[in-house]
Amino acid sequence: MALASYESQRRRFARQAFAPSLLFLILVAGLPTLFLIITSLTPAALVNPGSLTDFSEPFRNYILLLRDKRFVGSLWVQAKLSFYTVTMQVLIGTSMALLVHAGQGRWQSLRHLFVIPMVLPPIVVAVIWKLIYTPDISPIYRAAKAIGIVLPSLTTHVDFALWAIVIADTWEWAPFTFLMVLAALQTLPSEYVEAARMDGADTIGVFLHIVLPYIAPVLLVCTLFRVIDSIKAFPLIFLLTGGGPGSVTEVTNYYAYLVAFNFGELGYSSAITVVLLSLTVVISWAAMRASRSNQSIE
Amino acid sequence: MTSKLAAKPLSRRTLLKQAAGVTAGATLGMPAIAQSKPFAGLKLRGAAYQHGFFNHLKKYIPEFEAATGMTVDLQLSAFPVYNQQADLELSSGGSAWDFCNVTFILAARWISAGLLSNLDDFSGDRKLTPASWNPDDFVKGAQVPYVDKDGKTYGYSWEGGAMLMGISRMDLMKKRGLSVPRTFDDLMKVADGIHGQQDVTGFVSSNLHHWFVPPYIHGFGGDIFANPPGDIRPTLDSAAAVQAVDYYGRLLSKYSPQGVLGYTEDQARAALLGGRSNIFIHSSSWVTAMLTSPDSKVKETALVTRMPLGPKGDFPAANSQGLGIPKNAKNKEAAWAFIQWALSPELTARIVKDTGHASICRRSIIESAEYKRLNTINGQDIGKLYLDVLQQPAVGRNYMAYRTVKEFPLMGDVVNKAVERVVSGQMPAAESMRVAQEAALSSLRRSGAKV
Amino acid sequence: MKKYILHWAVPLLLILMLMPFLWLLQMSFKPTPLILEFPPQLFFTPTLEHYVGLWKDGFPESFVNSLITSTISTALALLMGVPAAYALSRWSGPGKFGLGLGILLTRMAPPIAFTIPFFLAYRWLGLLDTRTGLILIYMTFNLPLVIWMMQPFFDAVPASLEEAALMDGAGFPTVFAEIVMPVASAGIAATAILCFLYAWNDFFFALILTRTDARTAPVAVVNFMNYEGWEWGKIAAGGSLVMAPVLVFSLLVRRYLVSGLTAGAVKG
Repeated sequence: MALASYESQRRRFARQAFAPSLLFLILVAGLPTLFLIITSLTPAALVNPGSLTDFSEPFRNYILLLRDKRFVGSLWVQAKLSFYTVTMQVLIGTSMALLVHAGQGRWQSLRHLFVIPMVLPPIVVAVIWKLIYTPDISPIYRAAKAIGIVLPSLTTHVDFALWAIVIADTWEWAPFTFLMVLAALQTLPSEYVEAARMDGADTIGVFLHIVLPYIAPVLLVCTLFRVIDSIKAFPLIFLLTGGGPGSVTEVTNYYAYLVAFNFGELGYSSAITVVLLSLTVVISWAAMRASRSNQSIE
Repeated sequence: MTSKLAAKPLSRRTLLKQAAGVTAGATLGMPAIAQSKPFAGLKLRGAAYQHGFFNHLKKYIPEFEAATGMTVDLQLSAFPVYNQQADLELSSGGSAWDFCNVTFILAARWISAGLLSNLDDFSGDRKLTPASWNPDDFVKGAQVPYVDKDGKTYGYSWEGGAMLMGISRMDLMKKRGLSVPRTFDDLMKVADGIHGQQDVTGFVSSNLHHWFVPPYIHGFGGDIFANPPGDIRPTLDSAAAVQAVDYYGRLLSKYSPQGVLGYTEDQARAALLGGRSNIFIHSSSWVTAMLTSPDSKVKETALVTRMPLGPKGDFPAANSQGLGIPKNAKNKEAAWAFIQWALSPELTARIVKDTGHASICRRSIIESAEYKRLNTINGQDIGKLYLDVLQQPAVGRNYMAYRTVKEFPLMGDVVNKAVERVVSGQMPAAESMRVAQEAALSSLRRSGAKV
Repeated sequence: MKKYILHWAVPLLLILMLMPFLWLLQMSFKPTPLILEFPPQLFFTPTLEHYVGLWKDGFPESFVNSLITSTISTALALLMGVPAAYALSRWSGPGKFGLGLGILLTRMAPPIAFTIPFFLAYRWLGLLDTRTGLILIYMTFNLPLVIWMMQPFFDAVPASLEEAALMDGAGFPTVFAEIVMPVASAGIAATAILCFLYAWNDFFFALILTRTDARTAPVAVVNFMNYEGWEWGKIAAGGSLVMAPVLVFSLLVRRYLVSGLTAGAVKG
């Protein structure tokens, strides 16, 4: 009997506790999103007063988007960037985790130092890599010059500019996969490995048949989260290449920024952003399903 | 005024103070009316980008503050950051600034959108501005971006950008038997001849292609628009434009330092001043630094001269930076007092004399003997070169009219990308300009222009 | 031999990975003429001239702005988010997944999705270039982060603990404040620091929504890359200062980093 009234008490308290946050989130997140969608239906431009409420051609922006080669190109660049950088991060991060784990606790205390690149302010990461990629001042370029090798300038080279971004981004975020995989590895019961060893499996066999399947769910969640984050790539491109040379490193997020804040076309940029947001929704949904099912397994 | 002085029982001290106030006011170029601290307690807010001129100006601001009673808060930001923030600020109708820099790229956009105050109201009002201030003293070529089609003025120029050619290694030129290039063909030959000698590159440039390329487009007989400012159909795929981008692209890809596409102006200048690059074609203050800057290693071997002529004529770019008052500024009269003081003939002359800063825009100062004396370096009359180029657009056809088109920022971006594609080898010039033309058309149409 | 290499592989790898970061740090203490010299001198007399130069160039103001906006947005997010997380944790009704997805999205959306509407709204409200404006927009990612991170902590507090107190006649608010919170306090500390870290590191919102008054430290660092020459010493010093607080804090919360960075989707 008493429990039932506790339940109702609890529920009432829960509602009261949740209400302010819910209201606040609706205000600062829900409404702006609605506003964004509405703005995408107008040709809003800051220099044209009245354009913010011009709904005469609501889908004009979206139709223009389909024909906008620069936009379509940016989606392609985004896909390439996400693919390369997430693959590299996951591969390198996993390798680092395996290496540290193999040390069997000897380097446990050091693992927290690996975290440094990913907690640095992203703009500082961009500054660091700007230093590394500028031929005039980079220690790497000058070292190469000293031994007679002339390295090409990566950030202004059509074939290497995107890779320059990928390298910097991987440096920044590989620790993320590293931490997640290491945490998972540390919960792997050692009996599994011992049993496999006793059955005659070598290191590679152990990895392929025991370790990999065990960390696969973590890798999946990791990958999905990193893909979502890669869509937000901004400081590196802003500082290192400005989207160039040409449009080789111009991802959709950066293009939306240029359109909104360098050209002042807020309506068109809103349309681009809505497309980007839809993509994020789909991937986030998948990520949440994957992680929730992970947690229910645990 | 005399009657006022006569009426009051005078003490010697009062008389001296008033006399001093009048003199100080006159020195600062302010009307010789007995005003003590007309703007007492007011805080004037302004913004501009980081430039040597404002560093000089800041040293004189305390005098201005003492005479007027106001405090001046001048915020400086990096050039690209300033431009973006200023554009957003003014486009949003903000009133955070009382005066601000009107960057040449954005001047047309701001003026046609009505975001700036008409300064004729202030300069013509004798209560605010003495006749000696003379708005007509500003070089016409430098004022072009700030005057709308009805002749109203929205900004006064503080900096003139007259495109000149700087050659840093005349010693190498002599050694190779090369003379100063006078035509585009000569320039390519000289670049080729010097490139690689003693680790020097033949040419250097920076990433502002929308500033560097048009002289070549004009030189080959083309333009950015069909007939600006009236007919703004882009003509980026014309034969002349393609030729120009191909030409300029070759200068950058074959004869410039590695990574030149990522170079900022100061990196290019550093290369010039260090003698690592032979030729840099840019606004005068950037190239004359070879002769005046303490960092320059090429003082003895440098030459500043006019840039080469194209087959269809001589069209060196001339631009300017100006000071203006946003439409919704809160303290317009105070802002005008500041602008008037900062660009007064008296202060301009003082700045030239005290600091040697030469890229000012008042004709009377540029043609003065003092200026000539200060700006003849190593026998080169830089002042004359500067003035000639600055005036050029006002002399014959106004080839800088493309700057006055409000959609120019869009075009500038398109041209930048086109050049980057050519220099990085993604596309040949013809194809790159075709892509640029398409992008320009769709950009212009999207912003509502009828092309 | 192979064993030797493998033995030291980890610390070697660590040093290699941290080289870029260490390079910036050492550059901030190098006298200007030596900075771009090659071969680089590894031993030099350190100088504080760049840090002093920063002090005079308006950097302290931006540092203070960063401090204020990060701290207050964290405090507000905790104030509203902790009870909300508790409520969500005890919720057994429908819509939990949908609510969770909505909250996750707020964390994961590209910043520009919020910047455009916020820019227009702030223009109208006069909140452009104000610290209040920044604090509000930082709540869009801090509040969801708090809710996401604290929920598992509250999940771990058994209901029996509450019931025991309730049976003694305490009201729910008291139970929450005096029984549940202390148990979850470690989580609150970690969440607070993570919120601070995210607000501190923000670049995009500050770039667009501030001019000079409310400019934060990350944007100020970029401002040093000025027209007349990249002042590398000051840039390095600025970068080092900007990263100092987050480095210290993240080492404090290292156990909860993974959980926080995946918005609680994965436990560290």
